[in-house]
Amino acid sequence: MTQAGRVTLRGINKRFGSFTALKNVDLDIKPEEFFALLGPSGSGKTTTLRMIAGLETPDEGVIEIAGKDVTFAPPGDRDIAMVFQNYALYPHMTVRENIAFPLKMEKVPAKEIEPRVVDAAKKVDIDHLLHRRPGQLSGGQQQRCALARAIVRQPKLFLLDEPLSNLDAQLRLQTRVELKKLQRSLNVTAIYVTHDQEEAMTLADRMAVFFNGEIMQIGTPDEVFNRPDSIAVAAFIGSPPMNLLPAQLDGSQLKVEGRTIELDRKPTATPMAVTMGIRPSHIRIDADGIPARLYLSENMGESVLLNLYIGEHLVKVRANENVSLDDGDIVPITFDVNAIHLFDAQTGIRIEN
Amino acid sequence: MMNIHQRASARRNALLMTAATVLLLIWVFPLLWATVVSLKSESEVLAYPPNLIFKPVFQNYQDAIFGDFSILDSLLTSVIVATTTTLLTIVLAVPAAYAFARLKLPARRTLGFYTLATQMVPPVGLVIPYFLILNKLQWLDTYQGMIVVYLTFSLPFAIWLLVSYMEDIPFEMEEAALLDKASRLQTMWYVIIPQVRGGIAVTVIFVFLNAWNEFLFAVQLGGNTVRPVTVAMYNFVSVEQTLWAKLAAAALVAMLPVVIIGIAAQKQIVKGLTVGAVKGGGRR
Ligand SMILES: Nc1ncnc2c1ncn2[C@@H]1O[C@H](COP(=O)(O)OP(=O)(O)OP(=O)(O)O)[C@@H](O)[C@H]1O
Ligand SMILES: [Mg+2]
Repeated sequence: MTQAGRVTLRGINKRFGSFTALKNVDLDIKPEEFFALLGPSGSGKTTTLRMIAGLETPDEGVIEIAGKDVTFAPPGDRDIAMVFQNYALYPHMTVRENIAFPLKMEKVPAKEIEPRVVDAAKKVDIDHLLHRRPGQLSGGQQQRCALARAIVRQPKLFLLDEPLSNLDAQLRLQTRVELKKLQRSLNVTAIYVTHDQEEAMTLADRMAVFFNGEIMQIGTPDEVFNRPDSIAVAAFIGSPPMNLLPAQLDGSQLKVEGRTIELDRKPTATPMAVTMGIRPSHIRIDADGIPARLYLSENMGESVLLNLYIGEHLVKVRANENVSLDDGDIVPITFDVNAIHLFDAQTGIRIEN
Repeated sequence: MMNIHQRASARRNALLMTAATVLLLIWVFPLLWATVVSLKSESEVLAYPPNLIFKPVFQNYQDAIFGDFSILDSLLTSVIVATTTTLLTIVLAVPAAYAFARLKLPARRTLGFYTLATQMVPPVGLVIPYFLILNKLQWLDTYQGMIVVYLTFSLPFAIWLLVSYMEDIPFEMEEAALLDKASRLQTMWYVIIPQVRGGIAVTVIFVFLNAWNEFLFAVQLGGNTVRPVTVAMYNFVSVEQTLWAKLAAAALVAMLPVVIIGIAAQKQIVKGLTVGAVKGGGRR
């Protein structure tokens, strides 16, 4: 199997002064994979990406690209293209010169440069703007120019740091689709940093979820969404994320808010304190349910999001039907039993059946 | 009809224009006066009250340039000293400023202090030490001696000025270049320098002007071989009499190169100054 485009990180630690930015990060990114680094602000995504690019060096650990140890190799030796959040276009050069720059540095013969520049520009639809300077382009066009500069050298590995975050919402959706198409058509590996989980879910083949410099989970979007490894991931993924309630597990019986729910499985032998997770769309209004008080209902267009209090715990419920309720009403709710997630209350780790 | 805002801004413009005109007149008056004096004969210069109507003569210019005390040689000296100082300053200061702006050097912080210190020491205090040093080196009255002394002032100043321009360039731009396989030097040449052209133009003007106008060190450390125009002009002032008209003519001739450079670099200077101003300019 070809190694080009494979990226491996093993036991990466990175400190800035006394602050530990990355703790024991392990990653194995496969060739031609679209891999997302997802996590809240300050969780270490950019640091990880910059490490792969060679713009930072780890304090401990090994980085391999295409099967070669590049831990301390300079950025230029790694055959990587990177798209920066602020695009980092050279303001004094035209779009043509910007795109040609990597070729010029690679000493590509002058007469080969122009056709390759035009080719790259065509792929991202900016071939009519080659004579302009970055300052004369819209945000979306600048973003495309940065992409063209990245693809012109035809490297096997692309690093993208929140490349869509400076675009308006509509353009972001459109560019997202084109980005994925581009990656497919070029057969390259893409590592994509974002704090927008929707972006990660839609774009990525697999993703890593970062918290406080640690990877909490690696998996496909499905796995991360449907089988979160820990309370931390469960509380981060989904908008809104799943509801988390304290509960007591005893055999197949789950005691929550004074009710007992009979599970269809028997996760543990011994009784234990757990945290129960349930997504807003897996809660129903049912006359026999646990009584909850409506605090506020939010109209989301296609659905209504009910903010309910069971005792002192806030529970969000997605109601599809047209419910007509007033704040302060009592709404009885039940949980879809087979959609309940269980986590060890002490360690925060998922309890499998 | 003008509305209130338009009228207010029109009034403000009028005020600004008046203030600018007054300031310009104050600045330009000595120049006009010198021009008038340079066109009079020596006897007419001393007439009191001064005649505003007179027959202009160009003899003074001829004397200043080709006469007994011709400033032509010293003009050439000034050009050599000022140009070499400026060139060396830029060639050394650009990479140094780049290093100070970007590399994590331990000496970074002391640079600012050193710069300020060199600008605070009264130059008179340095004349004697420099004299002794150049004397030891046998560099008194030599071009290299003069230029090295000027470099000790211009280099820290130029580095300090250029660092502020370079710090305004986002890091990512160089990182992008590094990823695209550019070396440090290529990055500086293709990415950094083109973006600080305005700053370099401003630096060139300041350094050249300072070297061109310098008198104190030139008169003490120079002599016969190296006698810049500022020193040469002094020949028109003597114990018995001062040749005002010729002095004025010489001064105006000596100003020409500076004016020419100023006009040539005007666009870059304005750009350099305003970029610095808009972005806050100074060091953060
Ligand atoms: N050069 C540095 N010096 C000191 N601390 C740093 C440096 N670079 C990053 N950090 C710290 O490391 C942590 C991780 O930063 P990083 O930029 O990787 O976060 P991120 O996940 O990309 O966040 P964001 O979504 O806000 O971009 C942050 O707490 C940040 O303050
Ligand atoms: Mg970041």
